[in-house]
Amino acid sequence: MLLRYILKRIFWMIPFLFAVSIVAFLLIQAPPGDYLTTYIAKLGESNEVLDQASIENLRERFGLDKPLYVQYFRWVGNLLQGDFGMSFEWRQPVSDLIWGRMALTVTLSFATLLFTWAVAFPIGVYSAVRKYSIGDYVATTLGFIGLATPNFLLALILMYIGVVHFGADVGGLFSNEYKNAPWSWAKVWDLIQHLWLPVIVLGTSATASLIRIMRANLLDELHRPYVDTARAKGLSEFWLIMKYPVRVALNPFISTIGWVLPNLVSGAVVTAIVLSLPTAGPLMLQALLAQDMYLAGAFVLLLSSLTVVGMLISDILLVLLDPRVKYD
Amino acid sequence: MTVFWRGLRPLTFAGAALGVMLSPLSALAYQEAPALAERVAAGDLPPVEERLPESPEVVTPFESVGTYGGKIRRVLGGSNDHNSILRFIGNQGLTRWKPDFSEVIPNVAESWEVNEEGSEFTFHLRAGMKWSDGEPFTADDILFFVNDLLHNEEFYPNPPARFVVNGEAMTAEKVDDYTVILKFAAPYGTFLTELATPLAQEPVLWAKHYCEQFHPTYNADVQSMVDETEAVEDWPALFRLKCGEVEAPNRWANAERPTLDPWVVVEGGEYNAGATQVVMERNPYFWQVDTDGNQLPYIDAVEQNVAQDNETLVLEAIAGNIDMQRRRISGLANKPVFAENAEKAGINILDMVNSNSNTMAIHFNHTHKDPVMREMIRNKLVREALSLAIDREEIIDIVYQGQGIPWQIGPRPDHGLYNEQLGTQFTDYDPDRANELLDEAGYAERDGDGYRLLPDGRRFTFNVQYTGIEQPDWGDSLEIISEQWEEIGVELNISSVERSIYYSRGEANEHDFMVWGAPGGLDPTLSPRDVLAVHPQASWFAIPWTRWYLSGGADGEEPSESMKKRLELYDAFKKEADQDKALDIFREIHQMAADEMEIIGISLAPNLVGVVKKDLGNVPPSIPASWMYPDPAPTLPATYYWKK
Repeated sequence: MLLRYILKRIFWMIPFLFAVSIVAFLLIQAPPGDYLTTYIAKLGESNEVLDQASIENLRERFGLDKPLYVQYFRWVGNLLQGDFGMSFEWRQPVSDLIWGRMALTVTLSFATLLFTWAVAFPIGVYSAVRKYSIGDYVATTLGFIGLATPNFLLALILMYIGVVHFGADVGGLFSNEYKNAPWSWAKVWDLIQHLWLPVIVLGTSATASLIRIMRANLLDELHRPYVDTARAKGLSEFWLIMKYPVRVALNPFISTIGWVLPNLVSGAVVTAIVLSLPTAGPLMLQALLAQDMYLAGAFVLLLSSLTVVGMLISDILLVLLDPRVKYD
Repeated sequence: MTVFWRGLRPLTFAGAALGVMLSPLSALAYQEAPALAERVAAGDLPPVEERLPESPEVVTPFESVGTYGGKIRRVLGGSNDHNSILRFIGNQGLTRWKPDFSEVIPNVAESWEVNEEGSEFTFHLRAGMKWSDGEPFTADDILFFVNDLLHNEEFYPNPPARFVVNGEAMTAEKVDDYTVILKFAAPYGTFLTELATPLAQEPVLWAKHYCEQFHPTYNADVQSMVDETEAVEDWPALFRLKCGEVEAPNRWANAERPTLDPWVVVEGGEYNAGATQVVMERNPYFWQVDTDGNQLPYIDAVEQNVAQDNETLVLEAIAGNIDMQRRRISGLANKPVFAENAEKAGINILDMVNSNSNTMAIHFNHTHKDPVMREMIRNKLVREALSLAIDREEIIDIVYQGQGIPWQIGPRPDHGLYNEQLGTQFTDYDPDRANELLDEAGYAERDGDGYRLLPDGRRFTFNVQYTGIEQPDWGDSLEIISEQWEEIGVELNISSVERSIYYSRGEANEHDFMVWGAPGGLDPTLSPRDVLAVHPQASWFAIPWTRWYLSGGADGEEPSESMKKRLELYDAFKKEADQDKALDIFREIHQMAADEMEIIGISLAPNLVGVVKKDLGNVPPSIPASWMYPDPAPTLPATYYWKK
């Protein structure tokens, strides 16, 4: 049953991704001009000039002189052979560029997810059970501040405090001496020391919203008859809450997994730029801005695939955790 | 040569300018960095005498002979800041700029001769000079570029314009291992200066012994390498991926590639999208020594972190994490921030002499598609009136924090080609005179709102777009100009657009006028696009004239008499081998441009700022800021050193 469900979902991904590739391609082409106009403009800003012959050479080299459909099929043809093409801007293979940033992106995203859950879960439960207590008000206030503060602003403030008051080295995920060093325990420790800042910055708003969701869902459940029944039967208050209403209220946590995967790529671009994190987001933004067709296209495809896969995973988990959710 | 810079020289490079002595230091023994001496002792490297050319270039440091050691930290901004590396590591062309940007001097080439008519250039290379991997650098490397790349249609479907004269690409003749003649179809007087600009390094960029493996002439089996390499479809793509291009990140992405630079990329420190730090270490075969015979560079390594955001760069600078830089932090607004933190961060503020002429120039479209608008714009009285009606002092005070002086276009006042009329005519604020001029020009009638009318009854209106994201200050200035022009009955509607829309409208000749920065303050002969219709993406005042010129009269539209004369003079300038005569030709061009006044401007571009650590020696306190220069490379970062 479950297996058939998964296979069916995977089968439907194929036409979906094909459609996505067309939309992605058209979206990247949608702004006026092409990579070269952007490139010339960028050079022009610093008074760097490219002669006409070189521009023609580049246009020919990148195939930008060909009609759109030829460019599209060339791209898709290469994709089917596992070749993502050459980035116009970096003049390096797209796959190297993307994978070069993926490992840290994954680390950061999961660290953030764990942080979010670890903070949001207990606070959410607490503020639902002790509704309108002082603790609830404090959590609620902090939660709303967390929701209302833009991540990048928080990043800038923390960085400024770090530099001016603590002389900390800000930005990036490693200290200078470890940036290009091979992996070692010392380097991992260095990473952990740098990770807390982006994790807090990236995690605050998600934490705040999860606290609110947890609290609201749990409040819905706490006054159900089955809770009263369980209490009447003498179950301890802690186990009572954990075993039944919390389990029901947990569904939103599981659903967030579906968004975590695409967020790997596109999440918190501005924050990553401000914090100089070598993650995928800034690279994707730059590729889109520069109309670096193959790099941007690869990112959009990756993003779509990850969304589909992420949704599939969270659907499966929901089914496993909540017997009320059915297949189909 | 092309640029005279008399005014500034006594101030900033007084007497101490880096010079070149051509006589070899035969009596001196050469010294090397301690780290290299250890490697020699261990037998990993040949001794320094064998690594240096027979007569290395002897450089006189700006302040004093330095000491070895330490590293220089810089920060690359965002992704794709490869030109920041190029500007510091240096553009090792056959020639380079003198530090004061006044003329070119020998660099990779030891000396040269030019034939009578200026079409053949004989370059003498340094005997015994080596690539960074220890292989000899000879005339064959230059021939490899000319014969196997420049003249190869697969590699260059169109050869780069700087190596083409009269439609024919440069050819090369090898005299001996260290002498090569580069020949053109016609005189090319500006070739030597061209070679000092950053994009003209190609003749000495590619090491034949390494790069030939990616070329079908030398490697019949290159196709199998192409097939093996991901994302590469043909050999030119493979060649560029491995051997780099002048102006692309891939140039710094292969640690194996031999170079002639003072520092070379180390393995693990390459520049690619995942890089957080680009690390370069000294080239043990670098070919310059100081006056005491110490092999350069003094500094062991250059460490360049990558930061995505320009504000982060400013933070790094005031935290003392940048040793010398102006790129991406050179805005005047940063000056007070640097000054405030100078003590704590241990930095001095560098004065970067702006090579631009104007912060914002107004390119009236002289080839407007609408005949009524065209006639109006081409009327010089109208342009004079519009210029007089701008209160530049007010704009400078409000938008540019008082930095700048009222200015049109052309070489800066301290430049040898300075033309007072071109720079300062009609910059006074005189709305009364402007009104008189417009009445005189035949636009005296006004509508009910007080705006003047065109002959066909439409309102006297300019609709203007500007790139608001990149240049918000232009929007502020236009807003003020709009109010000021209202006083003379001229309407100005402005809107901010995305950059590529801005470009496509300009290239389609659909604009009333365009606003754009004006280069040519210190580099008037290298960036003449405001006085000559030569740049298809920047001579906005007459794009169809540009097309006419570039296509030899086939496309576009025939220019005005004055412009045609100027373009003829420009062609003569490019051929003129005698530099004094060449400059006189340019003076004539500037005078004609001044008489026409096709473009007006707002403010002389103020100087930029940079930071340098207080104990970093041999850094001039004032450096020209220009892509053509390209700063700070001609001040020779290889001579920078840490004072003990």
